[in-house]
Order: sequence, then structure tokens, then C-alpha cells
Amino acid sequence: MARVTMLALLAASLCFAQGQKDLDEANTPHRSAAIWKMSTGELNTVVADPEAGDFEKAKACQRLGVVGDASSVPGVAALLSNRTLSHYARTALETIPGPAADTALREALARLDGDLLVGVVNSIGRRKDPLALDALAKLRRSDDAEIRSAAEAAIGRIRSP
Amino acid sequence: MALTVNLHSRRKILKTAAAPLFVSAATLGLNGATPPSDRINLAGLGIGGRGERDLNAFLSNPDVQFRAICDVRNERREEIKAKADKHHGNNDCAMYSDQYELWARKDIDAVLIATGDRWHTLLSIGTARSGKDVYCEKPCSMTIQESRMLADSFQRLGRVYQAGTQRRNGANFDYAYRMLQEGKLGKVHTLHANVGPGDRWPPRTSHDWLPEEPLPPKQLVDWDRWLGPCPWRPYNSRYVKRYWRGYYDFHGGGILEWGSHTVDLCQWAGGFDETAPVEYEPVEEPGLVTPYAIHCRYADGTKLIMRDTGWGDSGACATRWEGDEGWVETGDGGNIDTSDNLAADRGPVEDSRKATRNHVRDFLDCVKSRNQPRANALSAAQTHVACHAAYIAFQLGRPLRFDPARDEFIGDEEANRMRSRAMREPWRLV
Repeated sequence: MARVTMLALLAASLCFAQGQKDLDEANTPHRSAAIWKMSTGELNTVVADPEAGDFEKAKACQRLGVVGDASSVPGVAALLSNRTLSHYARTALETIPGPAADTALREALARLDGDLLVGVVNSIGRRKDPLALDALAKLRRSDDAEIRSAAEAAIGRIRSP
Repeated sequence: MALTVNLHSRRKILKTAAAPLFVSAATLGLNGATPPSDRINLAGLGIGGRGERDLNAFLSNPDVQFRAICDVRNERREEIKAKADKHHGNNDCAMYSDQYELWARKDIDAVLIATGDRWHTLLSIGTARSGKDVYCEKPCSMTIQESRMLADSFQRLGRVYQAGTQRRNGANFDYAYRMLQEGKLGKVHTLHANVGPGDRWPPRTSHDWLPEEPLPPKQLVDWDRWLGPCPWRPYNSRYVKRYWRGYYDFHGGGILEWGSHTVDLCQWAGGFDETAPVEYEPVEEPGLVTPYAIHCRYADGTKLIMRDTGWGDSGACATRWEGDEGWVETGDGGNIDTSDNLAADRGPVEDSRKATRNHVRDFLDCVKSRNQPRANALSAAQTHVACHAAYIAFQLGRPLRFDPARDEFIGDEEANRMRSRAMREPWRLV
């Protein structure tokens, strides 16, 4: 009896899953498969393309988080002030190896404010960039409690082993 | 406006003190009632379908008082409050949409968290920081990095944590575990974990977006708070109505669904609660979602096979442990199957559906004793590290070597860059 019930449940769940899959495929205007196959150079082009939409740029940034390099940094860093794409840009910059990404994040500290600045401070903390300590020390005296808190946390991360 | 302060005059205090003192039987814990001093004040954070089943298990314990629900969905706040108030026969369950208001409550001892993967680690650590113990549904983390932060934070903060991997307290799994511990299998060389039907939970998650729908009023669904640390995307009601699984931004991957249970059982049985496999090799049929498998190996040579096919009639979340003297296999069907030489151990054990009640009771007892339950933060973290590492190997389509002491892949930069995900502003783990 238990086995029959279980098989029925499994069959129902498979039908449900197939139904969901069909529905998703019919209603998904934003598809990422092509972007996921692009080379680093092609992804850089998408990020810098003024004609590309938010979806394409967002997915290109996510992919660059795995395959991006120093050549990706200028285009990605330009999106840090974009309210929709700033987090996606940080997704790439947090994991791109080398000093170019650190420099881009440090430079953004001077031109951002509010939540976008908090996000960049958080990313600097994750990268543990010691060259950002002076700038973060100034942000500890910010009027904005969120920025002060983020700067404290980032300094703590950078100074911890 | 001046503050109005009620001061008891000395005369009033004396009159009160002189009055006969009546204490109810319930307050004293008589007639089978639990005295308030022995009750655990519970709250919920993001209670959907699975969370409500956990809540039912909590409410079946007379020493639990459910005090508050916090959810970004108004409908769920109302439903859970109605359920709790009906159960307790009062109107006391408070409702919040902001976790900080819940965390500010000093009278809450423990919190049930079941928001979905994307919030689990952040909310667990935040809840612990607010001085409360945590029972959190699985999958408990989105990344290897989150898993480590979870374990480190609970160790540092000294709070009790139980992952919702209830099979550790399922009678049939416990029976098989004891067989292994008693040496009936001989030297164990291979552990098998059913990572779930790939048709239902494709191991590879989608990066697509569903079409945009009009944003509902914030008081009905707070989309920004629902997304939390995840990347922004246009609102679509299907995500909120439990169809968020299978999307990379919200989901740790299909392997995490059953793997967080069955890999967990293998880690437990094999004595690997403080480590993870050192090798991960994906085995995938070209062009097919299923069948698939990840062949793993621990540092001592023990094999861990994660696979979605080739199982008998053990039921969901099956696991099989093989030694040089015999094997045992069990799953949610509750039956124990063995090699012929261990036939005396075959047969049904307790209904496996009781596992959640046992697991919740284990947690409640630990909240009182301050011991750590079976699925504590460290063991849960290691299980999730193993599952995430396997999923990364699957996504990259190549074998990976891993150093569990450093949570680091050896000689594979792309894999190492997949160990974490940037969080949307303003969220962070520290």
C-alpha cells in the first residue's frame, strides 16, 4: 500500500514538474543559454553595448564572475552606478582576480552613495583589499548608519586573518 | 507630552501582598500542563508549505508556545497567525513583515526558519545574533562560503541550531546507522545517496527570467524583501507561489534538494560530520538531464556516490551503505533492506513520517539542555559544502579536487570563483 501511494505521488510530482517546465518554456522571454556560451571577449562586448538590455548585461556580468579577467573590469565597473545592474557588476568584480577589480571598487567609493555605496563597501570587504582601509576609515564617520556599519564590517574583514 | 507613570503606593502594595494568593494549576505545571518557566517561546520566519509541516510538529509539543510570525507575504502571516491562535485558544500571535522587529523580541527563545534557500543562512545568523536558537529548513545555504559562515557563527555565538534534515532522527535511518556502528557491515567502503529525480529537480538550475508582472502592493508581498540578498529581477507571482526552485538565483541546485538529506545521512554514517569529500567527478549522460551521478571520494578512500537512478523500492531519499561484510539500504518507505547475510535485520521499522516530530523534539530538548542536536550547524555546513562542491563539478562538467580544511578547490580557479555569490545591497553576512 505504501509503495502504491509513493508511486502515485512520484507520478503526480513528475506530471507537475513537466507541466511547470512546459509553462516556463512558453512564458520565458529572457533566455540566458546563448550568453552562457560566450567567450570572455564576447561577454565584455555585451556589457559595454549601449543597445543591450538589462537582462543581457545582468547575465553577462554573472558569467564574468566565473570567466572574467582584467579586460572585463572597465565595462563592468561602469555599471556600478546603475541602480538595476550595480549588484550584477559587483557579482563580477568580487571574483575577478587581480588588482584591476580592487582599483575599480575603490574608485567607486568616491562617486556612489546610499545602498549602492554600501554594496561596494561590502564587496571590498569580501575581497579584503588593504589599500581601501583609509577610504573605509573615512566612511566610518558617515552620517548614514548603514554606510558606517558596512565600513566597520569591511575593515574587520580586511584586518582579520 | 508628559509621560504618565503608574506608581503603586506603599499602601496598595501592602494590600496586594496581604491578599490571598491564587496560582492556577497550569502555572504550577499540574494536571499535565507545562509551567510557563518550562515553555519554549517559538516564532516563525517565512512559513510556507514545508515550514507549516514543521510548525505542526512543533505545536504537537505541549511545551511550545508559538508567539509570532514574520513573513513578507500578508496571506501567510494571516494564515499562520490564525493557526497558532486557534491552537493556543488566544489571539496572541504577533505578525511582522520585518525580521528586525521579530529579533527585537526578548521573550522569543527559538525561531523556525523556512523562507527558501536564498534567505536561510542570513536569517539563521541574524537570529542567533539576536540571542535565539534556530531550526532551519534545508537547503541551509546557497554557497560553500555561506555554509562555512553558518558553522563558524553558531560556534562563536553558542546558539543551538538544527537543520531541517529530519531523517537523522528517522527510526529506519537510525536503525541502519546502528547496524553500521555495530560493525555488521564490516569496513564501510561505499556510501550511496539518492539525490532525487532529475526530472523533478533538474540538477542544472536556470538563469532565465520569467516575464514581468505588475508589482503587488508592498503590504501584500514585499518583493524587495522577498528577494533579499538575491539579484534583482522583474516580479512574477510564480516565484512567490513556491515556483522559485530551479532558478539559480534562488536555489542552491537540484542536488541540494535531496542531497541535503541523503548526503547528510552518508556523512553522518561514515563519521564525516566534520569534513567533506576530497574528489568530485560528474557522470552525466550527454544531452540528458537524467540520469546523472557525482562520484566522490573522502580522504580515507571511502567512496560517496550521489545518483538519481538505480534505486530499488526504498522510497524517496534512499541511502545505501556498503561494507566488506554486507550492505544496508533504506529510504522513506521505512523498510530495511540488506545483503543476504544480514537478512535478520530486514523489515519495516517505524513510519518514517514520524522523523520530523522526532527531529523537532531533539531540537526542543537541546534548547533546554544547551546541547547540540543531531543536525547541528557544523554537520549541516559540511553536508552542504559537499553538495555545493558536487554541484560546481556538475556545472563545470569536469572532475574537481577539494581541500575541506580550506574549503578550496585545488588547481581550478573557475571552481573557486563559484564558492560564493555577491549579495545584493545592503545585505552582507558579516
